[in-house]
Amino acid sequence: MNSVVWILWLAAAMTFLLTTRNPFYIAIMLAGLFSLGRRLAKDRNINPWVLPNLRFLLTMILLSTLINGLFSHTGNTVLFIVPRSWPLIGGDITVESLVYGALNGLVIGALYLLFNIINLALTTKQITRLIPRAFHPIAVVITIALTFFPSIQQRAREIKEAQMIRGNPMKKISDWIPIMIPLLVTSLENAILLAESMTARGFHKQTNLQSPRALVSLILAAFLIFSGWILHMYRFPSLVFISFYVLGASLVAATLITIGKRANVTRYHQETWTKTSKFSAVLIGIYLSGFAVLALTGRLPTLGFSPYPQLNLPATQVLGFTFSLIPFLPFLVLHHD
Amino acid sequence: MRYCLLGLLTDVFVFVLGFLSLISPFILPQARNLSSQTAAFPIMVSLIIMLCLLIMVFEAQSSLLDSKMIAFLAILTAINAGLRFIENAIPGPGGFSPTFFLIILSGYFFGSRIGFLIGAMTLFVSGLITGGIGPWLPGQMITAGWVGQSAVLIALLVNLLGWKDKAGEIILLAIFGAFWGMVYGLIMNLWFWPFLGAGGGQTFTQTASDLENFQRYMAYYLATSLFWDITRAIGNVLMIIIMSKSVLRIFQRFYQRFSFQKQEEIVQ
Repeated sequence: MNSVVWILWLAAAMTFLLTTRNPFYIAIMLAGLFSLGRRLAKDRNINPWVLPNLRFLLTMILLSTLINGLFSHTGNTVLFIVPRSWPLIGGDITVESLVYGALNGLVIGALYLLFNIINLALTTKQITRLIPRAFHPIAVVITIALTFFPSIQQRAREIKEAQMIRGNPMKKISDWIPIMIPLLVTSLENAILLAESMTARGFHKQTNLQSPRALVSLILAAFLIFSGWILHMYRFPSLVFISFYVLGASLVAATLITIGKRANVTRYHQETWTKTSKFSAVLIGIYLSGFAVLALTGRLPTLGFSPYPQLNLPATQVLGFTFSLIPFLPFLVLHHD
Repeated sequence: MRYCLLGLLTDVFVFVLGFLSLISPFILPQARNLSSQTAAFPIMVSLIIMLCLLIMVFEAQSSLLDSKMIAFLAILTAINAGLRFIENAIPGPGGFSPTFFLIILSGYFFGSRIGFLIGAMTLFVSGLITGGIGPWLPGQMITAGWVGQSAVLIALLVNLLGWKDKAGEIILLAIFGAFWGMVYGLIMNLWFWPFLGAGGGQTFTQTASDLENFQRYMAYYLATSLFWDITRAIGNVLMIIIMSKSVLRIFQRFYQRFSFQKQEEIVQ
């Protein structure tokens, strides 16, 4: 699947995950994420994938339940009472706050899983390619760093072995000086060679992408989005803060595109858009815009769920179930490809 | 000069904006409102931090105009990202990490822009290698960038006091390393804390006073990360005291070697 489609998928899954607290929907999401992750990990020959992630999820749930249970004392069903004189944690320990904590842990765990899957699905090359053109020098630096990384690791190992043969015990930090210094010297020596060969191949001067106007417009955009966020928090009419968001986002996009056009970039091995990629991009686009339209017109069913003040069974809607099927979408494409 | 001023203003703006959004739950009662704040809150903060990062990187990349600087920065980033893996190899408990020491030294020696880039790029590259891309990355990147960027203040101080190549230089750097060892954890916590309690109100309570919220935060901080941060700070101090002298000498040598200039063509 194309990397842009994966990013769209990430956006869609994250939007839904962040708006819901309903345990049923989250459970479906988690089932989808786990099976997708298992499939991708199998393709990459990463063997124990499900177990470590399951362990992380359980730890997250436990931690979150514990913290919420100890610090939050709202809810009607009291389990037991911690003496009120105890600082910070004194008060009622309620079933509701424990449940809320567990739900929180589920969401955090699912978010982590989501990004874990993105890391599995995209190669480093694809991620580097997603860096906007306006940051061309940075992308070059990252590519070079990634290319040199293995050889530097290898060199560090060799120097360490050589030092150990000479009787370096490798116990204190000062024992690491004889490794650190040769590593730095030889690697920086490499950097000089690289710089010279880049110059020889005509890479001496980069186009200066910096311009005061672009910088100011980026700052303005950040300020607009920040103000939109503050207005959002203070519940201004949605038209006001949404226009702030849209204005800021389009300013960022416009600036980056204008600057990016000035960079001289040559790209080899462009990613192709297969039919399935296009199809799934359209599908995710419909999903996201449908979500946005429903949310803006206030017709989105209540995806949230709050156990406070009295624990009850969360209500479910067909639409919510449909939305929570998003992690299964890549399966169709993977199967087809 | 005007350009320099713009750069400085950018740094200040970004710092204020990033810091404000991180501490917003402390200062804005609305930010701790239970009903309006779903899990979107930490994501919004991450988004704003990402924008700040974008601006900073865009500003700093103007120092990457020739192949020498690009090669130099790339290799230093690769070394530093590699050091993150030696974390397990160099004996040290808790949050001890040898990366900060190189970030601080390069910021100190090569100035704020290079310092910022080394900090941010190191975290990005090691994130790419370990598969650690996620919403936590922008926060880590900008904080590590701030570590490198602010090291230039020590350089200014050392120049002012005339302590270059004296013991005072190392001591100042060590204090600086200890400071950032603690503050890095504090900032990363500020960012993660609302995540734990997004919307639940168990972390920040709207009805509680600022002081009470601060107390809660401190309790959480003491319980979860103080040990980590102390070991990180001690590690930084040790690394700086033991290694900085020789590393700075290497930087000096390569700085001279890297500052060769291409001669302009002679027009006949």
